[in-house]
Amino acid sequence: MKTKRVVALALSAITAMSMVACGSNAAGGSASGDAAGTDAPQAMQGSVEGELTVSIWDENQRPGLQKIIDEWSAESGVKATIQVIGWDDYWTLLEAGASGGELPDVFWMHSNQAQKYMENDMLMDLTDKIEASDKIDLGNYYQGIVDLYQSGGKQYAVPKDIDTIALWYNKTMFDECGVDYPDDTWTWDTFADAAKKLTTDEHWGYAIAPSNNQDSFYNMVYSMGGEIISEDKKASGYDKPETQKAIQLCVDMVQDGSCPDLNTISESGADVLFESGKVAMVTQGSWMVAAFKDNEYTAANCDVAVLPKDATTGKRVSIYNGLGWAASANTKNPEAAWSLIEWLGSKEMQEKQAELGVTMSAYEGCSDLWVNCTDVFDLNGHMKMLDADLVFRPYSKYTTVWEDMQTEKLKEAWTGEKDVKTVCQEIADSMNQTLSEE
Amino acid sequence: MNKSGKMTPREKSEMVWGWLFIAPTMIGLIILNIIPIFQTIYQSFFKTGDFGRGNIFVGGANYAKVFADAEVWQALINTLKYAVVEVPLSIIISLILAVFLNGKIKGKSAFRTIFFLPMVAAPAAIAMVWRWLYNSEFGLLNHILPGKTNWVSNPKIAIYSIAVIGIWSIIGYNMVLFLAGLQEVPKDYYEAASIDGATGIQQFLNITVPLVSPTIFFVMVTRIIAAMQVFDVIYMVIDNNNPALYKTQSLVCLFYKYSFQQSNKGYGATVVVVLLVVIMIFTVLQMIGQKKWVHYN
Repeated sequence: MKTKRVVALALSAITAMSMVACGSNAAGGSASGDAAGTDAPQAMQGSVEGELTVSIWDENQRPGLQKIIDEWSAESGVKATIQVIGWDDYWTLLEAGASGGELPDVFWMHSNQAQKYMENDMLMDLTDKIEASDKIDLGNYYQGIVDLYQSGGKQYAVPKDIDTIALWYNKTMFDECGVDYPDDTWTWDTFADAAKKLTTDEHWGYAIAPSNNQDSFYNMVYSMGGEIISEDKKASGYDKPETQKAIQLCVDMVQDGSCPDLNTISESGADVLFESGKVAMVTQGSWMVAAFKDNEYTAANCDVAVLPKDATTGKRVSIYNGLGWAASANTKNPEAAWSLIEWLGSKEMQEKQAELGVTMSAYEGCSDLWVNCTDVFDLNGHMKMLDADLVFRPYSKYTTVWEDMQTEKLKEAWTGEKDVKTVCQEIADSMNQTLSEE
Repeated sequence: MNKSGKMTPREKSEMVWGWLFIAPTMIGLIILNIIPIFQTIYQSFFKTGDFGRGNIFVGGANYAKVFADAEVWQALINTLKYAVVEVPLSIIISLILAVFLNGKIKGKSAFRTIFFLPMVAAPAAIAMVWRWLYNSEFGLLNHILPGKTNWVSNPKIAIYSIAVIGIWSIIGYNMVLFLAGLQEVPKDYYEAASIDGATGIQQFLNITVPLVSPTIFFVMVTRIIAAMQVFDVIYMVIDNNNPALYKTQSLVCLFYKYSFQQSNKGYGATVVVVLLVVIMIFTVLQMIGQKKWVHYN
């Protein structure tokens, strides 16, 4: 009887342990780039009087932000706790909170969702407060991020950070194949040639999936003079020949074998293949620095350079995005919430954010110290992209609707089922339909 | 006997206590299940606004769209394919296991525990482990087996690979139910049968199966309902880039996509009402069909 119990206990202990081990990497590479440290879903805390609840989705940023927020607490005497909820659950819970009037006091906003929250008066109107503030001047931040959090002439969030895309490469593989490291002379043609040379039985030259938009093909599209969505956000840019040329470049690379086929890339994402030494180059956002730094293989073998430019237009483009600090419209502590947002947006704290290696900052000229946050990689690859043509990540009110559709359709081009022109035309039609309903 | 309809004080008190005892379950069911069902049906006639405000009544427009939507029909086929593979196989395997583990085997309870373990694990964790087992580049399966099979990204086989995960996760639970059913079967039937010279297989088919048929029926009804609602495994294993997505996503996956990812709650509600109707039809058919093969003593 006793042995039975011991066996049962041991078995359940093993199960429990294996569960813990699996829990941590569930969210691998989330599509729009915001790497999420996912834990089991938990409730999102609402506003409580006399204490601030701050909600974010990236565990990697918590330690740095906690330091900045602690300094604010010391000065203001108000306690503030950061709550991290993984990317997927974040939006489900935030929406539930918004519908039930139980939003956290201060939280991150993102371009996918901002429009919806602003139009429905879920966020605190910061316009007058910014006007009266001596710390915040919206002219100091990258314009695209400021505009993003504006609706009906009102400002609903203060820019937090900025990301850039750069070319990550595996030095060991470049050496083996006798290819020179990428530099600022590279064009997309050099890039495609190099990818071909870097393809062997062991690894591919480059990896891209149809959902790698902001971090991959959007950059090529805008660099070649195309666009994804028109500036007034009323029409799709997929019927433009320049856009189709960029998509063709990716599809050609998949077809000629310098990129893994769709089956492979759908089972292990571009970042996973890169981290396990299966591809020589990936284009990735600066939000991946923490992950690549923590991975022993990439830390030992890889580095980062600027993205290639286009030979015809001469443009080097980085599609950027930036989060904003927003407050709930019906927070119980409006004064404290604004005071914290003002603190987080101030020049000193934006500099501190970069210095602590949290992210590059949305305040222009405050990111220089970010380069030194690690000596494993030469982060100038990402930094210099700030001087390239910065194009804000294409978005509209219901971005996810057409982005999902775009991924779904591009798969047919990846597999070669349909040619690029047909697929792009289909995307344009469907996207125009969606945009007309917004 | 009291035929006039009046209750004796004793009957009255029994009734009051009866209601009191079932009240917690009833209240829970009404608040958590029954009211939401009607709210969902109600919502399916609306084009919903953000955060549950500004809903516009659109009549049957959502239903017209669902019936014309090839993606929904494909999802229904996928769901049925999954159920057709998962339910019978999981019942057969777990019934056979239960029969063996009901006999005299060394380490019986260790085996029972092992088979039951998947039930204790979180479905999301199970899906992640299988996702890596199936991985065509790094996975254990392709490492052992010759050739390179895209288990979860080949549209032709992905749904069956998913069903295997479903079967693996559920056999332990089914097995426990069957074990309970097997305890009820009197031993003398088997003794009589072996004296008459029946083989093990004959005994299984002619004694065991008919006598545990009420349990088989119960497991079948609940499993079909659960299989029609399959979501977590597919959601975790098949991502957006997967070429097999169209041929594997179930109705609940579509419901999730519309309701929560694209916040089109009205259309999501419509998809799920269709699923409700399909499940009800299957359950009614089974209730009628049971008279032919289920033996209650």
